[in-house]
Amino acid sequence: MQTLATSPGRGRTWSDLDDFQTFIDDGGMVEPGDDMPDEYRQEVFRFIEFHANSELMGGLTERDWIPHAPGLRLKQIFLAKTQDEIGHAHLLYMVGADMGVKTRTAMLEDLFAGRSRFHNVFHYQAVTWADQIAIAYLVDAAAFASQRAVFAECTYGPYKRVLKRIVAEEGFHMRHGEEMLLRLATGTDIQRSMFQEALGRWWWPAVQLFGPDSDPNDPLLAWKIKSQPNEALRDAYVQKYVPLLQGYGFRIPDDALHQNLDGQWQTRPIDWAPLKATMRNGGPDSRRRIETARRNWSDTAWVRDALDQSTERAGE
Amino acid sequence: MNAAPASDGLTDGVLLDEVRAAVASVADPEYPGVSIVDLGLVESVDVIDGAAIVGLIPTFSGCPALDMIAADVRTAVGALSNASACDVHWLPGPVWSAERITANGRNILANDYTVVLRRKDGGLQCPVCGSHGVTRQSLAGPTRCREIAWCSACRNPIEVMR
Repeated sequence: MQTLATSPGRGRTWSDLDDFQTFIDDGGMVEPGDDMPDEYRQEVFRFIEFHANSELMGGLTERDWIPHAPGLRLKQIFLAKTQDEIGHAHLLYMVGADMGVKTRTAMLEDLFAGRSRFHNVFHYQAVTWADQIAIAYLVDAAAFASQRAVFAECTYGPYKRVLKRIVAEEGFHMRHGEEMLLRLATGTDIQRSMFQEALGRWWWPAVQLFGPDSDPNDPLLAWKIKSQPNEALRDAYVQKYVPLLQGYGFRIPDDALHQNLDGQWQTRPIDWAPLKATMRNGGPDSRRRIETARRNWSDTAWVRDALDQSTERAGE
Repeated sequence: MNAAPASDGLTDGVLLDEVRAAVASVADPEYPGVSIVDLGLVESVDVIDGAAIVGLIPTFSGCPALDMIAADVRTAVGALSNASACDVHWLPGPVWSAERITANGRNILANDYTVVLRRKDGGLQCPVCGSHGVTRQSLAGPTRCREIAWCSACRNPIEVMR
């Protein structure tokens, strides 16, 4: 197995994009010290910024549910998940800022001003505790599958190293999600119907997390940041989770759902227009979520000021 | 209750080796590939009259993985045909510290996870490039047992067990 602890880039250069593509095709890994093509730098940066924003928005959402989690053990799980997501965001913002496209502060300001993007699943409202279970079971699994597919190749060294730890931790979240779902699924009729309702709200956002079909010319595929097109990941997810949810006795909110002659599950065609509007921060809960994040940032300014001052003093 | 397996000092001794191997096969849920033995979580393994008793210590109290680790140990030991029972206990002491991580554990953490331990003199060496130009960025990382640092030589964020 290739170790992730390899020597850093030695300022490698490429004569043109074709030369760079050959390097990628031969299994090369790009490091911060390399003179990477600007197209690669911009696209990989955008992807990492999106991932970082999503971790931060996810962590803030989970934080809001800590007081509502029933029982000490579930509070402990949500505390730990919140810390994980915020820690992941921190690591990703460090990698992103180092690429020299935007500073960390600029990335955060763009996020809070609604100028940048994050995962679709953080644009909807979680109504009951069962929504949190649906998110932990369905959305964490979708995020895990999507991140694992990026980790599988991922030609940008620092991102790949961070992803290794993120994917391991998201796998841990998934196990918590499975455990929490099992409790509701084997619970009372009220608990089961709460989950069924939450499933109606979260099934489609989870399936749509993988995005519309990839453009076959997507440079992120050619540069092996994405190892598989969106539709392949989405389909694998549907094939796995339809039978699992049905096995627990839940109904998938899709009247057209059926198995084709090969036994593959086919969903109804997806209308991507609402997703596109949502991703431009026009989702049902986008405004409130962004405002919550912005307020969190301004409320904690004094902590950053205090840290900056103590760092300056230490440097004197 | 079923008849307990014939138990004397000799069979308990054989079983003890099997139980130790089963416990060592359990990986930490947050570090797939790293055994809980290598992380220093296993304080004691005993076999008494065919029953296994495993004493574990947590990295941090309040770690959210405790129930999962204990369940994984029970599953691994429960799969042994000779073990009549398996009790897993979280012990109140000794207190875990990063020094308990074995050399093998340190190697896997550094090479696969780019996670390092502080040296005895407090210094840090980057697991990616070997540089000493590593500075702390945040006392809290994604988990309670890790802090975030930055290597200015190879420009990678790394994490430090604490």
